Amino acid sequence: MAVQTDELPRKSRILQALEDQNTSVQFDDALESEMVLNMGPQHPATHGVLRLLLKLDGETVTGCVPELGYLHRGYEKLAENCTYYEFIPHTDRLDYLSPLSNNVAYVLAVEKLIGMEAPPRAQYLRTLISELARISSHLLWLGSLAMDVGALTVFMWSFREREKMYDVFEHLVGARFTTSFTRIGGLAHDLLPDAEKMVRDFMKQFPEQLAECEKLLNRNRIFVERCDGIGLITAEQAIDLGLTGPSLRACGISHDLRKAQPYLIYNDLDFDVPVYEGGDTLARYYVRMGEIKQSISLVNQIMDRLPSGPIHAHEPKKVLPRKERVYTKMEELIHDFMIVNFGENPPVGEVYQAVEAPKGELGFYLNSDGKGYPWRLKIRSPSFTNLQSLPMLIQGAMISDVVAIIGSIDPVMGEADK
Amino acid sequence: MSSNDKMIRTKDLTFLEKIYLPEIVKGLFLTVRQMFKPKVTVQYPEERFEPPAQFRGRPVLVHENGVERCVACGLCSRVCPALAIEVQAAETPLDKERYPEKFEINMIRCIFCGFCEEVCPEEAIIMSNEYLLVFQSQEEAVFGKDKLLKSAEEMRPRLEFLRDHR
Ligand code: SF4
Ligand code: SF4
Repeated sequence: MAVQTDELPRKSRILQALEDQNTSVQFDDALESEMVLNMGPQHPATHGVLRLLLKLDGETVTGCVPELGYLHRGYEKLAENCTYYEFIPHTDRLDYLSPLSNNVAYVLAVEKLIGMEAPPRAQYLRTLISELARISSHLLWLGSLAMDVGALTVFMWSFREREKMYDVFEHLVGARFTTSFTRIGGLAHDLLPDAEKMVRDFMKQFPEQLAECEKLLNRNRIFVERCDGIGLITAEQAIDLGLTGPSLRACGISHDLRKAQPYLIYNDLDFDVPVYEGGDTLARYYVRMGEIKQSISLVNQIMDRLPSGPIHAHEPKKVLPRKERVYTKMEELIHDFMIVNFGENPPVGEVYQAVEAPKGELGFYLNSDGKGYPWRLKIRSPSFTNLQSLPMLIQGAMISDVVAIIGSIDPVMGEADK
Repeated sequence: MSSNDKMIRTKDLTFLEKIYLPEIVKGLFLTVRQMFKPKVTVQYPEERFEPPAQFRGRPVLVHENGVERCVACGLCSRVCPALAIEVQAAETPLDKERYPEKFEINMIRCIFCGFCEEVCPEEAIIMSNEYLLVFQSQEEAVFGKDKLLKSAEEMRPRLEFLRDHR
């Protein structure tokens, strides 16, 4: 039976949107068995609190309206009441699967606004943590996609590797999940010898483990058939919707900010951007697997070339002074108080700084009126933009493929809802 | 590093792979092998994880011979992104002149960011290695000085880490 919404006193707006949507998939069905299905916000396969309203014709999805905002915490507004420094821990909670790349993106934006640069060693370490974050984020995606299509072993294995990565993070940054590691003008602390050894050890054993996961999936008929040709999008549509990251590169477009507008030290590093044709879930799987392998090589390159030197820029009025100087010098003590109380006071102006986060282009737009607080902060989050493509990807798919499609674009609601 | 691996689509699967049974056996071989590898799980309540010095556990106040280092400047409560700290200053005849009459951290609010430690001009508040926090009520989660004070001796690993790496 069709839903008799006309009899309802007020139609919910999301239902109205679903009914207004042009559905291009039409099936002749004598029984007219069209139904509306709510999926989420508490569905294990929607990866967080994403709600989908699906219009079904039998098992075929003829329309889809995603509803976002269940995890909205108002970070953009909150930022207007935080000094630039205070906002760093909040960035952990955007894309909480790769907090380190958010930390890096945010401080790069602030540094661009202030007009300074971190010293080389800090740049190398920031690149290192961005790539580690990419591996850890893609590992979670691998596990959850595999589980969504029924391969539980891969889920266990990729989570085991992630657990090892978290042990590395614990030694590297001092926290497993909420890292808050970068600082304006540098990093919270330097790479410690034990952390360095852990990164190297992890990188030594990891390729083998990844290969085992691949062995279980690449030629697995169930996995391949469930991903092949599912969730199709063409290159033009992807560009129109502003898709970025692995989902865009799975449409055959080689666009990676690390190559297109190199930041940090990506210019000096040698890496490829995996690009696949097809624009389906399988292509997205290959892109991300390729990216993990590239990240391994990047981490190894960085570890071999790590320069020595300070990790904090010398900008007394902008960068928090070193502790031993705060304890002994009056001037540094005053700077400590001034920066904490009144903020960095960057010059009037606006900047936009984007980085290639694991999910796509993560950008921070900052508008400063010269005070210690940003006048406006806007987060261009890849998950939010990528979720726009969902109705297009899902239309015409079977209901059992919906979970695989959501998994393949890898949305994180913390970031999409901000 | 090789660039792109070849994408294997359904049409590229060989006949044997399409039958699937040999693949199941191969997959089982991979998974059974895991049984003979060392275990990665930790038997939690019996086995506890020992955090390294750089780990950020719950914030504590450092005292030396029973006198806290804190001078109640209020910088930590200013910077705290979660607004978890409350400091109330009072005067003392000691050299430092001021001391915190009341120092409370609401452990439900605290997000373990370590900013209080980073800005403190007296090395008075630092992150410990304690991560097990259990409360039964909201009142219990507000830690006063009695729960926060730790001797400098006890906190030595962290203090050494701060001295060498901050
Ligand atoms: S703990 Fe440190 S920052 Fe906080 S009030 Fe005491 S001296 Fe000031
Ligand atoms: S660790 Fe962070 S949240 Fe916790 S009390 Fe210190 S500044 Fe506040």
